[in-house]
Amino acid sequence: MAVQFVGGVVIGADSRTTTGSYIANRVTDKLTFLHDHIYCCRSGSAADTQAIADFGHYYLQMQAQVMGSAPSVLTAAAIMEKMCYQNKDQLSAGIIVAGWDKKTGPSVYNIPLGGGLFRQPWAIGGSGSTYVYGYCDATYQEGWGKDETVNFVKNTLALAMSRDGSSGGCIRMCVITEDGVERKFIPGDQLPRFWEGKEVLGEGIQNSLKTNDLFPKRDG
Amino acid sequence: MDPSFRIVPASAPKSASVSQTSNSLGLHDTLRYGPRMIATEVKTEGDLKDRLQNWEETQDNLKLTMMRNTYGLHAPMRLLMERNIVSANPHMPVLPQTNLHLDILMGRDESIEAADVFAGPLNGPPLDIHYDMEKKRRI
Repeated sequence: MAVQFVGGVVIGADSRTTTGSYIANRVTDKLTFLHDHIYCCRSGSAADTQAIADFGHYYLQMQAQVMGSAPSVLTAAAIMEKMCYQNKDQLSAGIIVAGWDKKTGPSVYNIPLGGGLFRQPWAIGGSGSTYVYGYCDATYQEGWGKDETVNFVKNTLALAMSRDGSSGGCIRMCVITEDGVERKFIPGDQLPRFWEGKEVLGEGIQNSLKTNDLFPKRDG
Repeated sequence: MDPSFRIVPASAPKSASVSQTSNSLGLHDTLRYGPRMIATEVKTEGDLKDRLQNWEETQDNLKLTMMRNTYGLHAPMRLLMERNIVSANPHMPVLPQTNLHLDILMGRDESIEAADVFAGPLNGPPLDIHYDMEKKRRI
């Protein structure tokens, strides 16, 4: 996922890559470098997205040389979109391009499966995203600073990782601003935790757990 | 050069046709060719053959399209022109040929590929100088 804030973007992802039910890589880095201030977030088939990201990186290097200045985020997103759309019959790739450029400042572009290009203030993608649309809709506010946005991304990813079987591991984040890119890492044991089901147990059992009494007295 | 961002060759459109066995009415001629069978009508072969044959060309095309978009039409045009000039070979097609200049332009000068091992006179197609010359001169 990627979220835009005043002065930059925060881009974050989980770290799980699966082949069927086997976790092929539990520490994947899904945040791929495209240019100095432009990163992309990959979801879908790992091979497909790596091929597209490689080409995007190559193309942006050439573009930067010809233009003599850093490419804009829209340019990067348009290139990724062209690749995704023209190969749509072969690919299974959902990409989020986010970054900072001099002209427009921070921006986030979502490129879902069919190869459309959508600019949004925040974008989520991947299998775990379906579980957190509600949370994101309810929580996102415009005008946040860096810390609130980082917190938002962290909570969203943690919620998705706790519900979706094909998401998990640790959280990797990049904060992209005019000054550069700052990488953040949150290991799996330090993820924010939410409701974990202790309240499911009835009142009697809860009481017995507190007193270690196997046959607690109950009302009624 | 086809201005397309395709990474891998597209699978050929599947086709089947009755034309070879059709009579004057345009339908399958059962009396002549027996009952209609799908096996005889399907024209396309498997995807793998086309994919492998067009692989290098598609990858090359991707790079050329990128150059066209970054530098302008002249960039791929010049490259293709150079390749064309260098491929103009006045010799007879049959004798063993190596086009070093073309290899350099295509980036193959520092590698040994299957084509280098298998295309020589001992392993390659049989000698038929008349056919080869006709093909070359387009007679």
